[in-house]
Amino acid sequence: MKGIALRLEGLTKHFGRVVALQALDLDVRAGEMVAFLGPSGCGKTTTLLMIAGIYQPTAGAIYFADRRVDHLHPRDRDVGMVFQSYALYPHLTIFENIAFPLRLKGLRGNELASKVRQSAELLGIAHLLERRPGQVSGGQQQRAALARALVKEPQVLLLDEPLSNLDAQIRLQARGEIRRLQLDLGVTSVLVTHDQAEALAMADRVAVFSLGELQQFASPDELYTRPANTFVAGFVGHPPMNLIRGTFADGAFTSNGLKIPVPFRLPPAGGGTLGMRPEDLVVGGPIRGRVVVVEPLGRQVLVTVDAAGSTLTMLTNVRPSVGETVAVGVNSARLHLFDAGGRRVEAAA
Amino acid sequence: MAHEAVLVERAPAHPRRRGSHYLMPALFLTPATILILLFFLLPVITTIGLSLTDISTLTFRQPKWVGVANYRELLGDPFLGKIMANTARYVFLTLLFNVGMGLLLALLTTSVRERYGGQVRALWLLPRILPPVVYVFIWQGLTLEAPFGLVSDVLGVSRNWISASPWTVIILANGMVGASFGMLIFTSAIRAIPPDLFYAAAVDGATTLQTVRRVVLPLLRWPIMFVTAYQTLSLLTSFEYILLLTNGGPGFYTTTVWALHAYQLALQNYFGNVQFGLGAAMAAVLVVIGIVVSFLYLRIFNFRALVAEPKVEVN
Amino acid sequence: MPLLPPRWRLTLIVLAALCVPIASGVVWLFLTGTFDRVHGLIPVRSPSLDNWRFLWQSVGGRPPVHVAIVNSLVFAVLVASLEVVIASMAAYAISRMSFPGRRLYLGFVLVLHAFPAVSLIIAIFYILRLLGLFDTLTGVILVKAALELPLGIWLMKGFFDTLSWEMEMAALVDGMSRWRLFWKVAMPLVRPGLLALGTFALLSAWGEFILPYTLIVSSQRTLMSSYLQTFLTEGYSDFGMVAAVGVVYALPVVAIFLVGQRYLLNIYGGGVKG
Repeated sequence: MKGIALRLEGLTKHFGRVVALQALDLDVRAGEMVAFLGPSGCGKTTTLLMIAGIYQPTAGAIYFADRRVDHLHPRDRDVGMVFQSYALYPHLTIFENIAFPLRLKGLRGNELASKVRQSAELLGIAHLLERRPGQVSGGQQQRAALARALVKEPQVLLLDEPLSNLDAQIRLQARGEIRRLQLDLGVTSVLVTHDQAEALAMADRVAVFSLGELQQFASPDELYTRPANTFVAGFVGHPPMNLIRGTFADGAFTSNGLKIPVPFRLPPAGGGTLGMRPEDLVVGGPIRGRVVVVEPLGRQVLVTVDAAGSTLTMLTNVRPSVGETVAVGVNSARLHLFDAGGRRVEAAA
Repeated sequence: MAHEAVLVERAPAHPRRRGSHYLMPALFLTPATILILLFFLLPVITTIGLSLTDISTLTFRQPKWVGVANYRELLGDPFLGKIMANTARYVFLTLLFNVGMGLLLALLTTSVRERYGGQVRALWLLPRILPPVVYVFIWQGLTLEAPFGLVSDVLGVSRNWISASPWTVIILANGMVGASFGMLIFTSAIRAIPPDLFYAAAVDGATTLQTVRRVVLPLLRWPIMFVTAYQTLSLLTSFEYILLLTNGGPGFYTTTVWALHAYQLALQNYFGNVQFGLGAAMAAVLVVIGIVVSFLYLRIFNFRALVAEPKVEVN
Repeated sequence: MPLLPPRWRLTLIVLAALCVPIASGVVWLFLTGTFDRVHGLIPVRSPSLDNWRFLWQSVGGRPPVHVAIVNSLVFAVLVASLEVVIASMAAYAISRMSFPGRRLYLGFVLVLHAFPAVSLIIAIFYILRLLGLFDTLTGVILVKAALELPLGIWLMKGFFDTLSWEMEMAALVDGMSRWRLFWKVAMPLVRPGLLALGTFALLSAWGEFILPYTLIVSSQRTLMSSYLQTFLTEGYSDFGMVAAVGVVYALPVVAIFLVGQRYLLNIYGGGVKG
């Protein structure tokens, strides 16, 4: 299987008056796994369905390699898709489910059977071929759906929240398996998810969406260490980044009674947002606060501190008591600065 | 279900319960029960009972018990074979039209924009809700000879089509009424198929026709069986439209079906002496078949029927 | 189907063709009634009021048409009212009350629903004679209401099943009797179902032919269905007038159809939802 490059140009979708997706430009490299990440209603699934051909774009174009496909019916696009509900045909055996796309192409007999078996073995479900979808577990159904999507060696693989319906234990394992499979096969893939950990773990690059607009399209590392705006900053990473609104002036950030020195070029004077990840806050420093909540997480402790009217969460190994006053400090190299519009401001010393 | 136990009766069914406890349910159920007893249960018994007497116009006040004599007379009737053949033909061909057209309409109306599909379905409901007498009159008018009858005009051949091809008219007229039953049930079933299956089939490469053949129809298996079974029983016992269109004619027994003949024997004064008992015997056969088959339906289609379309009337 | 087929407009043309027979029939009826002579669907005489003379004269020894119309109205309204009340009461009991044999009663109603009631008409004829209700409107009304009961009970049970239990508990705690609860609380809440059943029963009774044909003989109790039917059996040539009678008879139904297509579709299948 050889992946192809996928290009979206000015892709727009309106449902009546509702704008589900605004003028999206996106390039997916051949063989890459891209995740579309965002909360419900952000446009990620809409975009996926347009790539598949199930929705028609209101405007814009979709290219598979150099071929424009947005006017093509799904069956002419050579796409493989795994639906959130798996969409296995309930009246057919797993074998027949996987064989379905091949039968439609006219394949028969041994050729058909060997391809189906191959796909099933790849997904580890060769022993379930004679069962019906209703007779196998959720995880196995998902593999069957994957096998069906891959059996026709598609140009593009689309996955709509493939892990959401799985039990938590299986989810982690499935995550790794899907990624490994995708890398082995080298098929260009787009994965839709609302789970940021999943996106960061599985994708080469992640496109973060909010309310129909692309917020940032970058590698997981980039998203994590240099989020482009407050939305991405707050959405990516768990526990979420502390985002405090306040003003930047005189080399410091001020919010109510809280004052944090910012030894960088500041955003344009005036309002803005300061971002600090919980793991970048340490015990001991210039900020005084009262401990409000202490949540032991096993390895570390999540402490919520009320510091002069602002709430800060920090991840630490220390375990203070509720009500205690603690000193909190932050590594200034790890500060995230955002201007009044929420956009990232590059910090330069 | 658990709610009930909590709600009204906390004690399990117990012989020592006060009689007044059942007063309320009894009050609510009594009118319906009386009507059902009077006009369902009693007639069933009466049909069978009357079939065992020689009741007729002459003996109406004092029928005599004759055992299975009526049934023997039926078996000896030279026209019985013709009537049974007519019934088989009527049921089979109308059923074919009912289920076939119902399926076709369901598939087609769900393949276009819903507002058009809905209008077509509504129009096909019209034969069912029009009063039968008006409906038959319209058929009579359309099947006249030229220059009046539209059918004659269109076909270019002038006939009174009811006399010329009575079976065709009967089957089409009944069929157009019956098709709406299947049409509505199948439409509902098609709508119940998860949209993802259609998307998956499209992505897998299926054309609309292939999707219908490989995904939709297999999933309609139970509704199709249900409609077929239900309407078979219904057609076996229906005769209203036949009575209005041809009353068994033209000629002797050309289009007489079993149910119609029973009615004619008992209630249409053909040869002076109405043979009530004989008619009852023919009806009794239908009644027994009806009871047995209804019970069978309940067992086989129990949950399907409960979930599908019990709200649509018979035939 | 969720994905509209690419050439769905072709399908629409096929559907339109399938609609032609029914549409032609209805159009023919109205044209013939108005113009008296129609070739196919083309009127050939000017509109004639003569067709409508049955409205103010008795035709051919029949009772005046207003007798039939009034009888049919009374019949339809009473059947529908009885049906709605009796079926609701029984459905409420089955749905919301506990009593021995409840399961059996419900199963029985289901069997009756599938059972072809028309096969009982011969026995019903006999029974009505015994009861002295033969040739009375009361008799036919009772029979028609009874035969529609299985469907009515089934329909209303579905509606009562959707009501919350809390309401009954609260009412009982407040000391309200089940009877009052039924009329004051439950019935208003299932109004859509009552309307649906009522409409269904009304239309069914208005068009009912075989029952009044069999069970009523005197002319002053005749219904519209029998009245119109008497025209069908003659070797008549006055199509225009008969069509006019047909128009009058079918008018309420066609009117309801034109105004409430969606509603009718809902009632007759696809489930009556809310």
